[in-house]
Amino acid sequence: MKTVVISLLGTTLDHRGFNGKRWERWRPTLSLCQHEDLVVDRLELLFQRDFQNIAGQLSQDIKTVSPETEVNHHIISLLDPWDFESVYAELLDFARSYPFDIEHEQYLLHITTGTHVAQICLYLLTEARYLPGRLIQTSPPQRRETVAGHYQIIDLDLSKYDLIASRFSREHQEGTHYLKGGIETRNPAFNRMIEQVEKVAIRSREPILLTGPSGSGKSLLAKRIYQLKKKRGQLPGNLVEVNCATLRGDNAMSALFGHVKGAFTGAATARKGLLAEADNGLLFLDEIGELGLDEQAMLLRAIEDKRFMPLGSDKEAGSRFQLIAGTNRNLFQQVEQGRFREDLLARINLWSYELPSLKQRLEDLEANIDYELEKYSQKANTLIGFNKQARDRYLRFAKSPEAIWNSNFRDLNASITRMATLSDGGRITQETVEEEIRRLRHDWRQSGGRNEASAVELLLDKPVDLFDRLQLAGVIRICQDSQTAAEAGRKLFNVSRLNKASANDSHRVIQFLGKFGLDFKAVKQWHERDGSINQ
Amino acid sequence: MIEIDGAQGEGGGQVLRTSLSLSASLGKPMLIKNIRQGRKKPGLMRQHLACINAMAEVCDARVKGAVIGSRIIEFIPGAIKAGDYHFVIESAGSSTLVFQTVLPALLLTGKPSRLILEGGTHNPMAPSFDFIRYCFLPVLRQMGAEFDVGVERYGFYPAGGGRWTITIMPAANYRKIELDSQTQLLGKRAKCIASRIPSHVLVREKRQLLKRLNWPDESITLETVESPGPGNIISLQMNYQNVTEIFESIGTRGISAEQVADRVVDELHRYQAIGAPVGRYLADQLLLPLSQGAGGSFVTGPLSEHSLTNVDVIRQFLDLDIELMGIEPGRHWRVVVNV
Repeated sequence: MKTVVISLLGTTLDHRGFNGKRWERWRPTLSLCQHEDLVVDRLELLFQRDFQNIAGQLSQDIKTVSPETEVNHHIISLLDPWDFESVYAELLDFARSYPFDIEHEQYLLHITTGTHVAQICLYLLTEARYLPGRLIQTSPPQRRETVAGHYQIIDLDLSKYDLIASRFSREHQEGTHYLKGGIETRNPAFNRMIEQVEKVAIRSREPILLTGPSGSGKSLLAKRIYQLKKKRGQLPGNLVEVNCATLRGDNAMSALFGHVKGAFTGAATARKGLLAEADNGLLFLDEIGELGLDEQAMLLRAIEDKRFMPLGSDKEAGSRFQLIAGTNRNLFQQVEQGRFREDLLARINLWSYELPSLKQRLEDLEANIDYELEKYSQKANTLIGFNKQARDRYLRFAKSPEAIWNSNFRDLNASITRMATLSDGGRITQETVEEEIRRLRHDWRQSGGRNEASAVELLLDKPVDLFDRLQLAGVIRICQDSQTAAEAGRKLFNVSRLNKASANDSHRVIQFLGKFGLDFKAVKQWHERDGSINQ
Repeated sequence: MIEIDGAQGEGGGQVLRTSLSLSASLGKPMLIKNIRQGRKKPGLMRQHLACINAMAEVCDARVKGAVIGSRIIEFIPGAIKAGDYHFVIESAGSSTLVFQTVLPALLLTGKPSRLILEGGTHNPMAPSFDFIRYCFLPVLRQMGAEFDVGVERYGFYPAGGGRWTITIMPAANYRKIELDSQTQLLGKRAKCIASRIPSHVLVREKRQLLKRLNWPDESITLETVESPGPGNIISLQMNYQNVTEIFESIGTRGISAEQVADRVVDELHRYQAIGAPVGRYLADQLLLPLSQGAGGSFVTGPLSEHSLTNVDVIRQFLDLDIELMGIEPGRHWRVVVNV
């Protein structure tokens, strides 16, 4: 492998007169050939015609100190060595015409000579691989050192720059950490997702679609993406957040796209609209599935062309906003049902991320509890914490199948807020936790129809049809309100029993419960322990 | 294959050069590891490659690992060829070190060789051309070899570009030499040599020498020599009956002419204070010729790390008896090489 140096002639540094004194002075291009540990097989010397004399003497001196170095002269023409465009063009021409042979030769681009403009151009050309080599930098000797001084080879290609690389990765980590709200999450799938969101957020202005169940943190993530981009100076504008479920009819159009004065009855003043407000900022449209078809069409155009038509206006308005859309609906299904535009979905589905439910991320529960406590503590200006048993009890419940976390992190936030508010002296006790658990159970039962598991299922410890569940729930409530099975039977079979010769009411109740593996006593006891069923 | 640890003793280029000379002279293949291990820039530098390449050319060796920075080389010598050689040493590297590396092998061929050497002739950290010419070669003449030497151009660091020639006429049989006692001083002279530097430097150097040495004015001469770059050296020569010793000081940037003169005078005074016939640089260099010739003995001052390293390396190649005897403890050593 031969070593070839490409160097511009330094008309000042490489030229130290024609007398013997020049040998005592450091001359950068000459110094390349004076090092004991660097053999330059060939030197490509670039200079302007005017400096032929200096180049000639330099070449002769190189011949003296390094007879094995072949020196080639290249005349270049730089009308203005301080003009970027012409210097770059001239050097690019050289790079394009030079017969590089990277199989057999390694190239070093000397960046110590030439104007700063030329040095920067060499750097750029090397970085862009027009010049397939490494940079070499020379520096003068310190006192008492030999005249050759020092040199340093810089490989732009390598991730050798650990410091720079680690700085990048630190910023990246800071970014993901930030997106996670500073919560040390352990769920690998979630962490992977956030890592990608961070990259996309930093590198792209394309729409992002966040899906996931209610309360899984879509809106929070959108806010954090906005803040991250703002911190990196990418979004000077505002964050505009709106839930599309609140936009109906004419109001929806004008809220989003604005209207001109007198656009419709009651439009006494002009309205800017949310899109315009989000100019150079971020628009977060939550529940985008709730948006009407007309608005969807207008939105698509605004995303693609950055232009839209305010209501009643005959002039288009413009806004460069980044869109983040949120939904807990299956938009593909909505498309099939004709309730969502396929082209809009295709446009916003470029970067789509499904946020997992709290139950899918149980390993992050503790960190989130601490985060919520911290958040409350800051707001209330008092330090709030669990005592040990209380924490263990809460965690056991929170991680049990019984805890369905219907509204995910919103539930957790509410739960922690309640306990923190009720805590005395900043300590959440076991008592508070028990009370909270009862409350959560109750709440989740209330919303049972939509629940993944209902209270009845908890009692049965297995899933059942909604039909049976509704029936059982009523039966159980009656049983719990009755002293005996017979009493419950009388209430339950209040019509049919009149037509029977022998009304064996208790038997009928026990038989019904038996179908589900339950007995009257168990139903009663469960009532005493856990409160009533209200389905 | 002989394995040499390049990190032994002085641990630098000396181990490499002595090993190269011996491997080539004896036709013994060798492997040197840990070359210049502890140095700031470890491994082979250009000046070392110059020695390896020159030696390989002279004895037709096969070499592996001879690249810049390499810390291990394998050197498999072939037959030594007397003849004409032209060695060009780049980056103003010392041409005398290359000469000393190839000389032992060429002295064994029985036929004359003619060498043209280009590069540095008066380098710091290496014997100067004057030292070779006036101190080293006369001892080898006593052993029976003959030389015809001439200089065309001096080569000073950093420009280099010196050029000199030497014809080596080996002896059929070498004689034993004995330099055991200081003999009568036959003459002394000093030369202040310069190229491409202001003339007042030499004048000041002479003035300082006269002040310190109390020598007759005509014994100190000023010489301007031909060289591509600037350079300055003072060379003191003491001619004894059995040996000529040379003391030198190289002028460099930032050191005054007076200081250059003071250094060489101090060097001479150290030699005189010790009172042994062989100075420390000659002692380093005599070991190899004595071992390959008919042996002999010399008395010198405290043995330098270079000398001890040379003894160690020679013992690894040759089964011979080198005695190092301390006489007048701490001051004189007698080195006896029995072949």
